[in-house]
Amino acid sequence: MSDELKGEDALAPPSPEIPQPSQQFPSRFGGLKGAIGPLLTTILAFLMGGLVVLFTGKDPIKVYKAIFNGTGLNWFFHVGSHSARIPFGTAHMWFPWDTASIAAQNLQQTLLLTTPIILTALAVAFAFRCGMFNIGGQGQYLAGTIFAVWIGSSFNGMSPWLHVILCLVVGTLAGAVLAGIAGFLKATVGAHEVISTIMLNWIAIWVGSYLFGQGGPLQGSQKSIPISNDIVEGAKLPVFWGLKLLQGLSIGIFIALAILIVYWIIINRTTLGYEVRAVGFNPEAARYGGISVARNYFLAMAISGAFAGLAGAVDITGWEYRIGQNDILVNQIGFIGLAAALLGRNTAVGVGFASLLFGALINGTSGRQLDPSVFRPDLANNLTTIIQGLVILFVGLNLGGFWVWLKRKRRT
Amino acid sequence: MTAAIASRLGGIRWTHPRTVGIFGILLGATAFWLALPPLAARTAVLPIAIGILAVAAGIWTYARDERRVGGGAVAAGLLGIAFGVLATRSSSAHLDQVVVWSALGAATLRYATPLIYAAIGGLFCERSGVINVALEGMLLTGAFFGIWGAIWAQSWAGSAAWLVGVGAAALAGMVLATVHAIWSIHLKVDQIISGFALNFLALGITGYLFVDKYGDTGTPGDVPGIPDVHIHFLQNWYFIGPIIGQLNLMIWLSFVLLVGTYIFVFRTPYGLRLRSVGEHPRAADTVGISVYKIRYIAVISSGGIAAMGGAYLSIGFVHSFNENMTSGTGFIGLAALIFGKWRPFPTWGATLLFGFSSALADRLPSAYGNQWGTLFQALPYLLTLIAVAGVIGRSIGPAASGRPYDKQ
Amino acid sequence: MSSTAPLLELRGITKRFPGVLANDNVNFDLRRGEVHALLGENGAGKSTLMNILYGLYTPDEGQILLDGKPIELGSTKAAIEHGIGMVHQHFMLIPVMTVAENIVLAIEPRHAGFLLDYDAAQKRVRELSERYGLLVDPNARIDRTSVGQQQRVEILKALYRGAEILILDEPTAVLTPQEATELFEIIRSLTDQGKSIIFISHKLNEVLEVADRITTLRRGVVIDTVAAAGATEEGLARMMVGREVLLRVDKKPASPAEPLLQVENLSVIDDRGLETVRDVSFVVRAGEILGLAGVDANGQSELIDAIAGLRHVRSGRIVVDGKDMTHANAKHTLDAGVGHIPEDRHRRGLVLPFSLTENLALHAYRAAPNSRHGFLSLRAMVARARKLLQEFDVRGGTPSTPAGALSGGNQQKVVLAREIDGDPKVLIAAQPTRGLDVGAIEFVHRRLVEQRDAGRAVLLVSLELEEILSLSDRVLVIYEGRIVGEFPPTATEEELGFAMTGGTHGKEAA
Repeated sequence: MSDELKGEDALAPPSPEIPQPSQQFPSRFGGLKGAIGPLLTTILAFLMGGLVVLFTGKDPIKVYKAIFNGTGLNWFFHVGSHSARIPFGTAHMWFPWDTASIAAQNLQQTLLLTTPIILTALAVAFAFRCGMFNIGGQGQYLAGTIFAVWIGSSFNGMSPWLHVILCLVVGTLAGAVLAGIAGFLKATVGAHEVISTIMLNWIAIWVGSYLFGQGGPLQGSQKSIPISNDIVEGAKLPVFWGLKLLQGLSIGIFIALAILIVYWIIINRTTLGYEVRAVGFNPEAARYGGISVARNYFLAMAISGAFAGLAGAVDITGWEYRIGQNDILVNQIGFIGLAAALLGRNTAVGVGFASLLFGALINGTSGRQLDPSVFRPDLANNLTTIIQGLVILFVGLNLGGFWVWLKRKRRT
Repeated sequence: MTAAIASRLGGIRWTHPRTVGIFGILLGATAFWLALPPLAARTAVLPIAIGILAVAAGIWTYARDERRVGGGAVAAGLLGIAFGVLATRSSSAHLDQVVVWSALGAATLRYATPLIYAAIGGLFCERSGVINVALEGMLLTGAFFGIWGAIWAQSWAGSAAWLVGVGAAALAGMVLATVHAIWSIHLKVDQIISGFALNFLALGITGYLFVDKYGDTGTPGDVPGIPDVHIHFLQNWYFIGPIIGQLNLMIWLSFVLLVGTYIFVFRTPYGLRLRSVGEHPRAADTVGISVYKIRYIAVISSGGIAAMGGAYLSIGFVHSFNENMTSGTGFIGLAALIFGKWRPFPTWGATLLFGFSSALADRLPSAYGNQWGTLFQALPYLLTLIAVAGVIGRSIGPAASGRPYDKQ
Repeated sequence: MSSTAPLLELRGITKRFPGVLANDNVNFDLRRGEVHALLGENGAGKSTLMNILYGLYTPDEGQILLDGKPIELGSTKAAIEHGIGMVHQHFMLIPVMTVAENIVLAIEPRHAGFLLDYDAAQKRVRELSERYGLLVDPNARIDRTSVGQQQRVEILKALYRGAEILILDEPTAVLTPQEATELFEIIRSLTDQGKSIIFISHKLNEVLEVADRITTLRRGVVIDTVAAAGATEEGLARMMVGREVLLRVDKKPASPAEPLLQVENLSVIDDRGLETVRDVSFVVRAGEILGLAGVDANGQSELIDAIAGLRHVRSGRIVVDGKDMTHANAKHTLDAGVGHIPEDRHRRGLVLPFSLTENLALHAYRAAPNSRHGFLSLRAMVARARKLLQEFDVRGGTPSTPAGALSGGNQQKVVLAREIDGDPKVLIAAQPTRGLDVGAIEFVHRRLVEQRDAGRAVLLVSLELEEILSLSDRVLVIYEGRIVGEFPPTATEEELGFAMTGGTHGKEAA
């Protein structure tokens, strides 16, 4: 009986709704099975990246090895007997890894980069769970950095804990407000969030450039360079591994990991997360259950922006301590977060691993780590971008589902 | 032709809300213009007064259900007041330095041209029902492969090498677009994701190849560029001369492209079918139109056209290439397309508006300091945001845009 | 007039879908110049048959003959080439284009080989329109024309492509009575010029007015083909609805108490701007089941949506247990004690990727014990789910199974469990047994009676007359947005079927 109606339903005109991003992302397969897709995607992307390297006359294996060494992930493989200093103190204790080796320093940098990626990826992931595309992570991140620098470089003499927390909170709110504009527009007039967030991105970039450029209102005391003032010592996050002067790893990584857990809790254990997921999967049914779809669109975007804004604030208070006009124009962290979220299938665990992957990749290919005789860093930067693009390209193919289908076919 | 224009003019109903609204938009622009050289009114009263008239017209129009035009007039009025007052408060020396209309006009056309190519490319794609956020990537691809092709052909083609460059650019753009097409049409991947992926791919591939080939030295300085078209008898005319007298060939081509696009999309059967596929693919399918075929052609062409805009950038305008040289231009093109509601001539208007904004941003620093130029760069995006929010909202384009078609 | 040799013949058409025999050895023929009506309820097999004729499906068995010669109809293109044109119930028109553009699409007249000759298109459309009496303005944009005009455009589209046979699928479903009369005149004009028409409908009075012959389908089988002259509405109703074994549910007689749901003079507009609920009034009391019978798309969906707070009410009142809920939204309505089993469990009743626990909590998640201070109490939710799954005998999953993995019957049980557990005062059940097997149907019926006996007011909306008659204590019939009759549960299916299809015993239509 219900199939009879299918024929008529097939001829019904399409309802003029806004296209939702594909709902295939939160995995039907939990646990390990859910990792097949991302794993295949990553392997495929790296393979093709290697082909690009090959076609331009270099040895991909050597290149990848050099990049890997630069990431510091090889630190875990050298277990021995060392003495490490307990953070924030002077005492020493036994530790299986050498915390001062080159690999250790590389790992610090990787984790330093992983921190904002986790947060911007969470921004994308949260919006996705509600069925929306937040492309505005970059702009929301910038909003966070702008306000963090502003608050951080003002109020000299405020108590350190208060100052840092204020910076983080204001940065978070800035990101939330920026994304909230897009969410509000979607909830009220139904404006497509992709377009509004793209526009807001560029507005943020140019306003930021203006603020910190030459002659800009927030330009620092050195008038010849388009850079802001440094934030005061009291507004900096404590560094627990490495030296602050040498860009050691701040506790920002723990903040990011904590937020990862917060994300998981909100999505899976709160009524808000329940509503967000319901709206993301089936807005009609959610409406029938009495959930306000418009309200959730707005809230999801605002919270999403909060994550990205926090990313910016953490970066500033954690190691950047200032912004320059050039940094604003060149920065891509919001988009790396987009790739990480897609690769991690918008789950907390997935985002964690995917962010680490990208953090490692970016660090390994940066000028600091990569041996130029093996592979030029600016080539390596572009290779990272290529891999980023390939990852996003292949993510949509649902390779995990393809794999399962293939295995099933082989069995019959 | 004159009959057509006359009938259009005669068909204007002067008291219709729409006309009043458009008049309001013009009033808003006038409010600003009055404060600029050569009229350079120095009292803020004038822009304010005219701006208020514009806002009033806008509100009147809005209330009569012509919301889009009415909102536009209100916005134009407010902006006109704001900028007009700003202009009256600035010194006239500064104004004279910045507002040189002939130079602004020429610069506007130069900045608008890559936007036109990108936007028109996007128009074809989106009119067939496939969203294209990869315009930025296509533009960049065209910029790199354009100059690469020209350099490669220099040895055997001499000064005509730019032709090879443009051809190479178009080809490269089409290849990129083919990926988008396969992913969106056959594999039915989300079109926004596929578009963004291609933006990154283009950025990475062009950057990689650039560094690999020209990393240490940059692109050679003697690359044969796309020639300018010198109209000798015009060149020395008072006002028009500097603007039109020696425009690049690609700029003239862009005008041809605009007119051609209008004719194709709105006056040929092929354009009718293209639009039907974008609005209601199932209806098109039931009369025997091949939805897939038309979408493929549209998407691939969009890549070629947009890439040509990139070629103009690298071998017609700047005569070099740098990593990520487009830096958001493709997105401004997308913004112009949305602003112009997917129609060639309003889109052209939007590209001129945005081009003007860029041209102004270019000249502002000389008198006012760098920071104002930078801030001005945000204007196109702000305008588009307002348009999307207040004025366009839900109906963002061809009705079937973004949804993959399932042939049953 | 019609000649005697058939123009089109369908012989022994059989079509199966998974689990459903949509057409069972159907024989149907069409004579030249006649109007042959195809009558049947929803699910009778009319659409499948016509989709086969229009090339959208291929029959598993059987033959199609045109002018005595067998033909293959593998695609709509082939059907069009053979002169078969179809006017779908949902129009295939492009809203932003003009009438002329829609009609000539894909076979446009050209100017200089390359440009669209719009003037020629206009001219041809005007010619056709005058020839057949289908008055349209070629330059009007489709989204600015009335539904009646759009239908004429669809007909012209088919005629422009040379259709000799026209299939009209429920053409009056979207028309006003005035427009329907105009349509009948157009049909007469078409047949006068030699076209042959297949008219699909479920409305008895219209079919008798316009058709030459009438074929009735029921459950995929042809019941009979009769000449319209001499047929009666009662006779047709009997053929359409038939006499079947009634599954009567054992129930005590009802003892209705105070009214819990009062609907007064309700008018509701649908998405197209048409008034689909017209001045409807009724009362449902505690302890009774009120059945609302009617053919699909006669206003039931919009009526239910309005009561549930999902659709704006244009005029009238809705009162739930003494509280005015006319303009309340869905959440407030649910809070006020109105349970709703929606008619489409996949799109509206369940979030398929959600687990059973989460689906069961779709309204209850807001309050204790399922959540506290905004945090979900998973243990409480799972315990509740376990209890409900057992109580409602839901099989095929545990509390953590996604709802999409369950069978239709079990999914419906989940929806039922959720709504009933909310302890509603009023329970609306819309097509509650659609697509379910016998066991699940019986279960749902039992539960609904239980709710009635517990003192709830149950509003049952169904397309199945059996179900209505066996469950309800009172029956209302809705036709074209109005309540056209009230019947006791002892009424016959013919009486109900008659009222459902606009039968008026010769009186003027309302």
